[in-house]
Amino acid sequence: MTGPARAGAEDDVVQRVPDVAALTTALDGEDYLADLGLATAMFLAVRLPQPILLEGEAGVGKTEAAKALARVLDTPLFRLQCYEGIDAGESLYEWNHQRQMLGIRVAEARHSELDETDLFGEQYLLRRPLLRAIEHAGPRPAVLLLDEIDRADAEFEAFTFELLAEAAVTIPELGTIRATHPPIVILTSNRTRDLHDALTRRCLYHWIDYPGPARIAEIVRRKVPSSAEPLAVEVASAITRLRSLDLAKPPGIAEAVDWVSALAVLGVDRLDPTSVKMTWGSVLKNRDDLEFAGARGADWLVGGDRE
Amino acid sequence: MLGVRTGWSGVTVSEGQHAGSLPRVPTAGFAAGFATALRRAGLPASPDRAVWLAAAFEVVTPSTRDRLYWTSRAVFVTSREQLSVFDAVFASVFDGMLDPADSRGDTSGPPAVGSEPRTRPTAADQRPSASAENDPRTQQEPAPSAGGDGSDQTGPERDAILAVASAEEHLHDVSFAELTEFEISQMQQLVRRIVLSTPLRRTRRSRRSSRIGGRLDLRRTLRTAQRSGADTIRLVYSRRREHPRRLVLLCDVSASMEPYSRVFLSLLQGAVSGAHAEAFVFSTRLTRLSRQLALRDPDRALATAAAATPDWAGGTRLAESIRRFVDDFGRRGLARGAVIVVLSDGWSQDEPEQVSAQMARLKRLAHRIVWVNPRKVAPGYRPLVGGMAAALPYCDAFVSGHSYAALTELADSIAAERMLATQKQRTG
Repeated sequence: MTGPARAGAEDDVVQRVPDVAALTTALDGEDYLADLGLATAMFLAVRLPQPILLEGEAGVGKTEAAKALARVLDTPLFRLQCYEGIDAGESLYEWNHQRQMLGIRVAEARHSELDETDLFGEQYLLRRPLLRAIEHAGPRPAVLLLDEIDRADAEFEAFTFELLAEAAVTIPELGTIRATHPPIVILTSNRTRDLHDALTRRCLYHWIDYPGPARIAEIVRRKVPSSAEPLAVEVASAITRLRSLDLAKPPGIAEAVDWVSALAVLGVDRLDPTSVKMTWGSVLKNRDDLEFAGARGADWLVGGDRE
Repeated sequence: MLGVRTGWSGVTVSEGQHAGSLPRVPTAGFAAGFATALRRAGLPASPDRAVWLAAAFEVVTPSTRDRLYWTSRAVFVTSREQLSVFDAVFASVFDGMLDPADSRGDTSGPPAVGSEPRTRPTAADQRPSASAENDPRTQQEPAPSAGGDGSDQTGPERDAILAVASAEEHLHDVSFAELTEFEISQMQQLVRRIVLSTPLRRTRRSRRSSRIGGRLDLRRTLRTAQRSGADTIRLVYSRRREHPRRLVLLCDVSASMEPYSRVFLSLLQGAVSGAHAEAFVFSTRLTRLSRQLALRDPDRALATAAAATPDWAGGTRLAESIRRFVDDFGRRGLARGAVIVVLSDGWSQDEPEQVSAQMARLKRLAHRIVWVNPRKVAPGYRPLVGGMAAALPYCDAFVSGHSYAALTELADSIAAERMLATQKQRTG
């Protein structure tokens, strides 16, 4: 962790991601629109290489960023969804005890010899995401996504980071497995608790801001190709207008996509008060918010861009 | 004035640099100098981060302000709260060195400290067009960007920077008398009681159970069999382990609560350091103090907490503070299934309807809400008006907390449910 002991990324990775602009273009090719800040941060994570912690409101595309990066590098994505009480058995490896018992019974039935080493062989090992990311054979490092790391216990956080710093796992029955291609690590957090200093010390950090209307429109057009272009733009500015209200659950990108999909299914190609009234439910998912926005009225929502 | 620019000596530049083209600077020296400036402003910019930045400049040539900004931000910032301070330091360091073209276009950010009044760059000096294409922030957004702090954002954000810069001043303002030994031990006893009595919930973790009827634990069964080597296998069962619910304390530190603030804060400190509770204080704004209060030494913890709270003894925005709590922390999981203790006299500048609406939201997340009001014992006090009356329907318990003795009532009310549950278990 100290100093430039790390020799930077592997040659193959360097070739695929020569600079920030190339990464931005490549992500764009995977239908993921990254702004300069996010692209720079991800570029550093890949090239230094250094784990990166992504934070941002729900629905700004933290998880999507990891998925798109894996596609750009043409490498598998191993995702570990964290939750309270997650432990090594669920994240790293577990022995398949049912199969081991079955193995014993079969050996007994056949009157054959069975060593303990047979019982703790590879075929009885259940590989969980952390192990699979470390074992990944290449040719390029895998992308390891630790989703919502703040939900896991602090001890798990420490355990994971030690493991990733070593890039090796020791399984008592099998020995030590060392990564030939240490994974590119992306973490996301919803800030339900303060992350441990040990973790933040080891990570790059990027806060993903909520995108502006033009970018929302662009994302919507990519996700719902069947929608008419003016519709995407109108929905994007309506969503932005809604976000300026003090809502409990401000609509995100997912809501914009849902909304346009709903309108497209209904055969609507321009946003008007009538169509807004029919489809409130795909944008606002909280009763208080519905009442609040409803009081401002569908006309306000549609008409604001003529100001 | 922030102590940021003084002592900054990492970079030497020739005059007349333009936006978009940085002078060639020795990157290692630059990184170290910038790290020092950030550290002075209160960011945890450790020397090894400076090494990272130097390494980062190997792969991202810092040839434009944008690149320099995003690269050093990804390296030095470790949480969202630090962004405003980082931006201020970045701006002050590059004042004069570069045209402060506002390439972020982020209107919600604080004004660069020390750089106002600032003149807008002329069109010719504008950011490089290539990055403008890529950067969504360069498009004007009508809505406030992430966080949605609303129109009053510049004010409080600015305060936060100043608070970081002048911790000593705040210490003078607050002047906590040191706690006596007796007070500390009383408080610890009380906290222990509260901790012991927080209601339980089932967790995903399991423990070994001798009773048949739990879940069959194959892993443990096989391990036991391996160890004993016996032919007959004894089945091992597991049951879900039970764990105390999370305890969240929201403490009002506005002017009207001043006589009680110190005592309540030491209660918060005990709960955080002893029971991993989460602690927040509020008067006009909400401040999370869990980290500051986690120090074992109560006096030091209280001093750190005082320094981190920008608005001691201000007015009370009860509804707004609860809303902030629910939006920024509660909904994300901190309040879900938790026992929430609000320590406040319920006097608020906010409309009672707002208090009621926010309490309703809190109630939907929390397992139990206990309200501690030190004015409850005052002769003739009846919670008929204002914020308190609005909040009361959503509280599971309403207790007084004007003295140590009275605070034990709090422990009892937190414990109430657990006692009931235990009784039920015995009879059922």
